[in-house]
Amino acid sequence: MQTQNRHRHGRRTRLQVGQEGHLSDLERGQKAIVLDFHNDNAILRRRLLDMGITKGVEIEIKKIAPLGDPVDIRLRGYELCIRRKDMRSIDIKVVE
Amino acid sequence: MKVALVGNQNSGKTTLFNTLTGSNQKVGNWPGVTIERKEGTIIDTNIEIIDLPGVYSLSPYSSEEEISRQFVMEEKPDLIINIIDATSLERSLYLTTQLLELDIDVVIALNMADVLEKSGITVDVEKLSKRLNTTIVSISAKKNLGIQQLISVVKSGEYQNNRQDYIYDEEIENVISNITRLINVGHKRFSAVKIIERDRDYRPLLTDEINAQIDMLEHNYSMDSEQLIADQRYRHIGRIKKECSTQEEKGDTVTDKLDRVFLHKIFGLPIFALIMGIVYFLSVGLVGGLTVDFVGALFDGSETINILGREMPFVIAGLGPTLSGWLTNIGASPWSVSLVVDGIIAGFGAVSSFLPQLIILFLCLALLETTGYMSRISFFLDRIFKRFGLSGKSLIPFIVGSGCSVPGIMASRTVENEEERKMTVMLTPFVPCSAKLPIIALFAGYFFSSLAWLVTLSLYFMAIAVILLSALILKKFIYKGATSSYLSELPNYHAPSAIYVFRDVFDKTWSFIKRAGTVIVLCSVAVWFLASFTWTFNYIDGVNYHIENSILAGIGNAFAWIFYPMLGGTWSWGATVSAIQGLIAKEQVVSSLEVIAGLEGGGSTVFESGIFSFFNSWNAYAYMIFNLFSAPCFAAIGAMRKELGSTKGMFKAVFFQTGIAWVLATFVGMIGWLIV
Repeated sequence: MQTQNRHRHGRRTRLQVGQEGHLSDLERGQKAIVLDFHNDNAILRRRLLDMGITKGVEIEIKKIAPLGDPVDIRLRGYELCIRRKDMRSIDIKVVE
Repeated sequence: MKVALVGNQNSGKTTLFNTLTGSNQKVGNWPGVTIERKEGTIIDTNIEIIDLPGVYSLSPYSSEEEISRQFVMEEKPDLIINIIDATSLERSLYLTTQLLELDIDVVIALNMADVLEKSGITVDVEKLSKRLNTTIVSISAKKNLGIQQLISVVKSGEYQNNRQDYIYDEEIENVISNITRLINVGHKRFSAVKIIERDRDYRPLLTDEINAQIDMLEHNYSMDSEQLIADQRYRHIGRIKKECSTQEEKGDTVTDKLDRVFLHKIFGLPIFALIMGIVYFLSVGLVGGLTVDFVGALFDGSETINILGREMPFVIAGLGPTLSGWLTNIGASPWSVSLVVDGIIAGFGAVSSFLPQLIILFLCLALLETTGYMSRISFFLDRIFKRFGLSGKSLIPFIVGSGCSVPGIMASRTVENEEERKMTVMLTPFVPCSAKLPIIALFAGYFFSSLAWLVTLSLYFMAIAVILLSALILKKFIYKGATSSYLSELPNYHAPSAIYVFRDVFDKTWSFIKRAGTVIVLCSVAVWFLASFTWTFNYIDGVNYHIENSILAGIGNAFAWIFYPMLGGTWSWGATVSAIQGLIAKEQVVSSLEVIAGLEGGGSTVFESGIFSFFNSWNAYAYMIFNLFSAPCFAAIGAMRKELGSTKGMFKAVFFQTGIAWVLATFVGMIGWLIV
């Protein structure tokens, strides 16, 4: 799993197609599929499942709030706003 | 017959409920929680319908979900109407598939409102009905289409019974039927699925035998059972959607284009500031400036009124003076005249004078809400708020609270997380509401003259600081471990709907009048009594007995020690009593100061009379701080009680607010005491 995709100064390198990382690493317009998620918070985990974030689902980064957080993602034909902190617990693989 | 209306948030559920019931609805609270419970009767029938909270699932985690789950399982409605939004079919059907596991029939109301507006999506309703094996009626809640058909289906009972189709892989279905054979509870299929998910409410039913079967499933699918069920459910839904619906990928929608402007990295925040500026200019500035004094004078009578900062002559005799003259003429006793005029009418006046600007504020906010912009505001300010244990959704109550705390506190219902909601309720009164502006105007105008605007600005910044600081304190000591998250939807931009806006403004205004009106009038009568009688119950007529003999003055003297340090070492029952009067309505602080100064005589303004000549810029600032941030008015305290759900919680909030205000005010006052 590639997690070391941040430079020392916090600047992020764009994940390329086929690379793996966290949902929070994606830039606007990128698409990825969910590989797994690891969240110790049972409530939040359940909530994410209920909202359709299951293994194999495709997620696109649609909009990012002006201050950089939260992020509006598109999945299963609808859009959902989610905080970066919660996106960090979702492992993905870039597809587009 | 009893029907439950179930659906996601933003699915058009509220609109459908309003259309189905017309004005036949009763609003209350669900027991033990502060979530609104609406029930009514469907038009032209005697079918009872209950609007359940908007949920995405029947999990037991949020209070909304728990309520919905308990209701459908225990109250046994005869039918569930499940409204689903055709534009987000997949997510909507997730809830539908759960409902179809219950032993209750389900009729689906397929809301096509947005599909009709947007091309690119088609739904084959007949096929969908066949695949889900239940009755579907397509409607547009907004355009009032299909509603009659929905009603007649429900009324005639011509809907399909719940067949509880198999939706999972065979292996899982086998475990489900094994479990249903072993358990003896209602809603067998639903319960069996919940047992597989190891749902906390079903743990007692989790025997070793069942557990072994679940372990096996988890092993075979290499994921935990909760994930497995969600995954299988969405797989099933994915297949249905593929067969019954098409969605054309069209690139950017109008909403996407608008969001490129409104959520712009650089321009987004200035645009927000501009929009809010316009809202306040229109409501508090323009309409408020035009009407507050005018309406106040209609009730209390005055010779001049302040219109947009200019003194104007006022020729209409106020209701108070007119009634006073009339009552005196028919021989009413002075105290009964005073009760009507200074107690009841003054109370009504206090509520009414803020009504015009509140209506405009409600109107602007309803427009922002119905167009979809309000959700953007909480979306892009979430980042700042989450640092303080709040979410962006708390901002809406704060914005409304700048007009009046009462509707602000009520608006906290949109905050989903219970802890965050309670924090928001406790913090909203810190926002300087429009009734607090006269206090600022009086003190800042006299002691800081040309710098008054700077002082006013400093108080607003202090309010922001107090809110954020208090949030941190509350999080640290009271609402420990509240994990906040932000999962919500950005609705599409819509042209505002006139009916929605009208209804929303009307509802909010009416509930403000009801709540504020009753509390303020009752309490102003109580304070009137305290200010008008001595301890031996002699009426204060201004001849034999004076205001300093009143019960209120006695109370003032009993509490003056609290204000002693912040007033720079001055014992003042007058300032104390005036602050207490702020509990009726904050602008009462000003009129109380004026009344007491007037009775005392000497000097043409409040601060030239002997009794208040001790005020200087330091203790004036301290006194303003105290009045701005201490316990809000009774109407707002009442609203807090309702939204916090307990009297204990209300007292906690009031003590917390007053404590913060006292510490801050005393700090400023003491500095003044030391250096002046």
